[in-house]
Amino acid sequence: MDIYDVLLRDFPFLLKGLGVAIVLLAALLLIGFVLGIAICLVQLYGPRTRLVQWPLTLYERVFRGVPIIIMLFIFFYGMSGIFDISAFGAAILAMGLRSAAYQSQIFRSAFQSVPTGQMMAARAMGMSKVKAIRHILFPQAARHAIGPWTNEFSSEIKETSLAYVIGVVELTRQAHYIITSTQGNVLTVFAVVALLYFILNRTGNSLLYSLERKLAVPGFEK
Amino acid sequence: MKGIKASLLPAALMGTMVIGSGMASSASAQDPYTVGVEASFPPWAYVEGGEFKGIAIDAMEAIAEERGIEIEFQDMPFPSLIPALAAEKIDILATGLTVTEERSENIDFTIPWWETNDVVLVPEDSELNVFTAVCCGARVGVQGGSSQQAWMEENVVNSSDIDVELAKYDNYVTAVDDMAIGRISSVIVDDTSAQEYINAGKPVKMAGKIFIRAPLALAVSKDDPQEILGDLNQGILAIYESGEWGDIVNGYIPGVTIPAIPGHMPNFVDTYQKPVAGLPDLGNE
Repeated sequence: MDIYDVLLRDFPFLLKGLGVAIVLLAALLLIGFVLGIAICLVQLYGPRTRLVQWPLTLYERVFRGVPIIIMLFIFFYGMSGIFDISAFGAAILAMGLRSAAYQSQIFRSAFQSVPTGQMMAARAMGMSKVKAIRHILFPQAARHAIGPWTNEFSSEIKETSLAYVIGVVELTRQAHYIITSTQGNVLTVFAVVALLYFILNRTGNSLLYSLERKLAVPGFEK
Repeated sequence: MKGIKASLLPAALMGTMVIGSGMASSASAQDPYTVGVEASFPPWAYVEGGEFKGIAIDAMEAIAEERGIEIEFQDMPFPSLIPALAAEKIDILATGLTVTEERSENIDFTIPWWETNDVVLVPEDSELNVFTAVCCGARVGVQGGSSQQAWMEENVVNSSDIDVELAKYDNYVTAVDDMAIGRISSVIVDDTSAQEYINAGKPVKMAGKIFIRAPLALAVSKDDPQEILGDLNQGILAIYESGEWGDIVNGYIPGVTIPAIPGHMPNFVDTYQKPVAGLPDLGNE
């Protein structure tokens, strides 16, 4: 059986691996999005006391400053004394919390790109802080955030391939299976895998860019 | 994994998170034992067409059937397996695992089910024999960092007058290819791999064997928290005595000599002290 027959036979397993990667990606981006926005809003508009701000800054620095592979090991092995976490759960948590740190900074810069006078004007017109953020700042910040967010999306897709170190059988691991059971063919197999990652990346980015175009205000900001 | 270790607080925290189900690895008394394997390590364990295969996989299934226990396989890269076993993320480690003193301090070994020895490989058309292949100015290939390199340095290069030079390679495939070109005269490699090269049609033959008797075994977490060491030991002996073990091994490595079980049990392993779990007649005094 030559390598192309093997690839054809095992292609469903590569797709299954890709599916695992996509679920992991979606879950970690969702955690990152929800937590990231929350952190950014508290950092910008929350109470200014150190009690609130310092822990957030510490969290953001730590999760941006430690390699993801170390985080995966810490969450999988380190947490096992407290909570019996599965490999997939550990990967989602470690990568999601890290993505939250990155996304909080993406949103922070997006919100800060909206002129500060707008918040003042909204408040002067009698809007509450929450209302001003919801109706005035957020729609503008969201448009600014999409560009940098495509970066985060792309880098997280690629980092899902690291989850195999704690036993998550995703696309890269499925590729290892083919390589070792056929005793070679590294180049061919990884070329196919690279193509799959590339297609996923391009598709996601195209959708995000079309969203960016859709949300763009003609004649404004461009 | 067995045994619910989660305290209520983090469990409740996790429960409130969006992910909810699927986060916790299942934990209840009837659960199958989790067997950790490195599934990119043929012929011991690998995946072909989406299914686990290999000596360790088939033998583990045979042992489970023999002892009436339930198992499920969990694949992990080799460097993660021993930490996972130490952290009780997996219950049993089944791969081509060599018994060493350092490892025996962190995990507990079953009785050895395999024994590797080193062989001297020479080109198929070579006139060299076991004496001439490794003396008199010969360049001998080994994998850098391997147990073969350590053995050669300790027992030949640094402690005798035999004139040999070690050539260190990244992996044995390169070493064997280099020998075919003629840059080195022989390669020292473990016998299981050597048999694989010969079966794969590489132009090499065995000139002789060095009996280092390195045992391979299954392993469980330190102090056997699941109390399965006895079952595994009895299972290994049972499938060996019924001939099933021999059939499994020969199915993957045709023509290999199967070491007797129980084989050489090094003194430094505490689970090899008499009485051995499940097999009270065995063990070192």
